[in-house]
Amino acid sequence: MPKDSFKTRLEIAKNKFLKKKLYQDNQPTSSLGTAFKMSTELVAHVVVGTIIGFILDKTFGTKPWLILIFFFVGVIAGILNVFKSAKNMQK
Amino acid sequence: MHQFEVYRIGPEIKLGEIDISFTNASLFMVISSIAILLIFNLGTKKNLLIPSKIQLLAELSYTFVSKMISDTAGSKAKPYFAFIFSLFMFVLFCNMFGMIPYTFTVTSHIIVTFMLAAFIFIGVTIIGFIKHGVGYLKLFIPSGVPIVLLPLIVVIEIISYLSRPISLSVRLFANMMAGHTMMKVFGGFVISLGIIGGWLPLSFSVALTGLEILVAFLQAYVFAILTCIYLNDALNLHH
Repeated sequence: MPKDSFKTRLEIAKNKFLKKKLYQDNQPTSSLGTAFKMSTELVAHVVVGTIIGFILDKTFGTKPWLILIFFFVGVIAGILNVFKSAKNMQK
Repeated sequence: MHQFEVYRIGPEIKLGEIDISFTNASLFMVISSIAILLIFNLGTKKNLLIPSKIQLLAELSYTFVSKMISDTAGSKAKPYFAFIFSLFMFVLFCNMFGMIPYTFTVTSHIIVTFMLAAFIFIGVTIIGFIKHGVGYLKLFIPSGVPIVLLPLIVVIEIISYLSRPISLSVRLFANMMAGHTMMKVFGGFVISLGIIGGWLPLSFSVALTGLEILVAFLQAYVFAILTCIYLNDALNLHH
């Protein structure tokens, strides 16, 4: 029967396809994407830190101090984030 | 620049103080949504065993996104497939429509990308609190940190959590705007250098167009994959 033989062939092809997919899962995802990700995240952390400092300064009335502290905390957060991504990449 | 200008099409509509008139930005959002709907309607109408070109396009994008979700967020993220898929296709089509001359690039405006990112951020936070309750706050306390450093680490983790929508929106906006501005500048050089010197910027312009198409795809991909990563954090809390 030609129809059955076609079905078995389809099954074999499907199994092959599924196996192939499993092996490909370990491949690293686009490294260009990671590069784009890191570049903006470094800046975004600093910006968010500064904004938080600015808001806290306004509410507590401690004008220059909290904005300075949170700016540097933002810088630390950004650098730590790059470290984390680098560690993840090496895995 | 002219290509980034938003202007009103049709009558002015006001909702209280807010201007909600139909603009060229809204027009291009509608166009890209309709294009997506058309492709997927035509592509899934006849389920041929040997797919036609348009069916192949629909199937390829489906498997691409589903593989991306299962790789980054695991099987628990299956219910959110529809959202991530429509997000990816919308950003991709907006970026790609912007590559056609005389069109408007919706994603080159920060308010559009920020709305998308804020929507994702709020949604992911709500999902996290629904799934884990107050335990979701454990996300801010990484394991194996000495007690002395804990206050600093918690502040840093909160900053990096809050920076998600900003980095997500600024990345897409900045890449699209910078690319289009660069193409405009090189196009201007072609005109000002004339027929003798204009060939070099023209060749640059051609190369940049190719690069921009790559960036348009890549930014949509990065946008979707980061949504998956954030969703993964909310669904599988492991620290």
